Amino acid sequence: MTALFDDRERAALAAALDARVPGSADLGAVAYVERLLTALDHDPPHLWAAPGPWAGAGPRWLELGPWERHAWAERVAEWRAVYRRVAAGAPEPADARVVHAHACEAAYGDPAYGGNRDGAGWARIGFPAPLFPPAGAR
Amino acid sequence: MTTADCDAVIVGSGPGGSTVADVLTAAGWSVVVLEKGRNHLVDLAPPHERLRHFANDEVAATRRHLLGPDPRLEPRTYRRSPADGDRLLTGEVNNLPSTVGGGGVHADAKLPRFREEDFRLRSARGPVDGADVRDWPLGYDDLEPHYAAVERAFGVAGEDGANPFAAWRSGPFPMPPGDDMPMALVSAKAAERAGLHPYRAPTGINSVAYDGRPACADCGFCAGYGCPVHAKGDPVASLQRALRSGRCDLRPDAYVTEVVRAAGGRRATGVRYLDLTGYPDPPVREVRAGRAVVLAAGAFETPRLLLRTGLGGDLAGRYLMVHFQTFTVGIFPGPTGGERGRSVTHLHDDLMIDTPGLRAAARAAGLPWLRGGVVEHGAGPGPLDEARTYPAGPAHTRSMADSALRRRLWAFTVQGEDLPQAGNRVDLDPAVRDVWGFPAGRVTYAPHRHELAASAHAAPLHEAVMLDAGAEVAFSATSPPQGDLDVHAEVSPLGVAPASRHVMGTARMGTHPATSVVSPDQRLWEVDNVLICDSSVFVTSAGYNPTLTLAALAHRAATLLCGGAA
Repeated sequence: MTALFDDRERAALAAALDARVPGSADLGAVAYVERLLTALDHDPPHLWAAPGPWAGAGPRWLELGPWERHAWAERVAEWRAVYRRVAAGAPEPADARVVHAHACEAAYGDPAYGGNRDGAGWARIGFPAPLFPPAGAR
Repeated sequence: MTTADCDAVIVGSGPGGSTVADVLTAAGWSVVVLEKGRNHLVDLAPPHERLRHFANDEVAATRRHLLGPDPRLEPRTYRRSPADGDRLLTGEVNNLPSTVGGGGVHADAKLPRFREEDFRLRSARGPVDGADVRDWPLGYDDLEPHYAAVERAFGVAGEDGANPFAAWRSGPFPMPPGDDMPMALVSAKAAERAGLHPYRAPTGINSVAYDGRPACADCGFCAGYGCPVHAKGDPVASLQRALRSGRCDLRPDAYVTEVVRAAGGRRATGVRYLDLTGYPDPPVREVRAGRAVVLAAGAFETPRLLLRTGLGGDLAGRYLMVHFQTFTVGIFPGPTGGERGRSVTHLHDDLMIDTPGLRAAARAAGLPWLRGGVVEHGAGPGPLDEARTYPAGPAHTRSMADSALRRRLWAFTVQGEDLPQAGNRVDLDPAVRDVWGFPAGRVTYAPHRHELAASAHAAPLHEAVMLDAGAEVAFSATSPPQGDLDVHAEVSPLGVAPASRHVMGTARMGTHPATSVVSPDQRLWEVDNVLICDSSVFVTSAGYNPTLTLAALAHRAATLLCGGAA
């Protein structure tokens, strides 16, 4: 898989994500965004984490139907354009809403998606670890 | 079974459709169940075990449309009135899940019954200017056996005799109530001090192992999530029974586009659907049904299908009701413990009762009467939803640590009775289309002043209870919001369209075709082997979560359809 961003661009993304949710970069927000933008490079796509080992041995990611893949391909293409602009230091005003949403997801969503490293985002707000976590990329 | 050889085709696999499938297959009928969404619930191959697709995952459930519908594929539109133009917004509007199991999958499964008065509101309370309040063509006594049957089918936990205002019951709840959320005990005590009558909520979540499903583990991921262990009374049990009968063919990814009628139009012969497993050109398939077509796609998608097919006349889609929600939020000095538990464990019904206080409020508002709705004592959102609420920047970290809107939050939610108005409706958007080229459904909705007056009565009452319970601050908000929508569009996590997933009306039942879409047996007046078995048929909205009532109605209609005693 070709890397989407170089180190300089990743630094720009980290700054933008951190500006929305301070500390999100340390929690893995850039990795979260990169995994999201490359989710459809995998089969099944890395978009819906399957239940963890508590549910028995099974796939780590749930399958999407062809139309769901269609919708996500459109969405990811738009977000790639957003992050290209952000990485280039030339975001449009509407891009902030996308970056904010992803910074929140990276800081407080499940670690399966590449953010919230080791659950540190939850730890800093006192949110307990889930009883039935997803598998994903843990 | 072939695609052209079933007794009944059922459109939708939620609590209504799955109940119909369960009843009909038990009576020996063969059915095909068509579900627009994906299957995350039950293995289609024998022995039809429950699938394990759900986890405690806020990202998948709230941000990535795991339960569907994806608004990119199926946008909906909203406006308050024609004065807003063709639409005010495009995107998610009243989105119930589009998945096998439908709205039963995401709900936190509060399953109260309606009360006797709810079926004869016109007789009991009288008319209201600007609304079309009518009695239902059946009463609570007609429905009681079916309430009892679906309570057993879903598995409802509750406390007999706890609610002093409850309707009569022919038997006990199938299982005792589950564990109380600790903060609910605090808010319930405060409510009692205010003269209210809180009780443990009848809930379709196992308090003990039931029907081969485990007891709830109180993981805290309930409202808005599929249950990881199937302790929730979603339609999985009904669907499994139907599938295991060998007479049910469940087809996910099947988008029904039209009801097919025989020459002359008085009988339906089946439906056509797009097979969404095909991409990019999904094939059109047809299911021919020998006896009946049952529409159970919900009060948004069912009228959309009727309108596409030219059924239901001018009344199709009208009298949309959504429950006008009033949230009273208390911010407490310490954690409320809402991360665990079943989202809501206590309710009170006092605002549904004819009391001197409500009579006075009605008089002051120039209305003949007021009814609020059931009031849920419940927890706040998950951390991701909370995070998206706060403004960006340095204050975000402090806000999350302080967590006024999650960890220290407790809320009363009034599921406010929404009076039926002809102008509130679902119709077909004139320009916006779904990805398959069909007109998007459009909601036109504005509350009646009854709803606003009931909300204005409830808010200070509940704010006082919250403060008495120990909240430092209490405030109230409504959905849909009133006032400056531009402000709400920017800051409200609930958005400007009604956030309620309690969608009702749109194909109301009645005793005459001039004033209703379906008969008391839930048959379309114009094509009498087409039945509607979802909350579309509601005549009034009551102020109670609609799922148990729509399932009881579906149980009754299916029982009548296959020749059973009502």
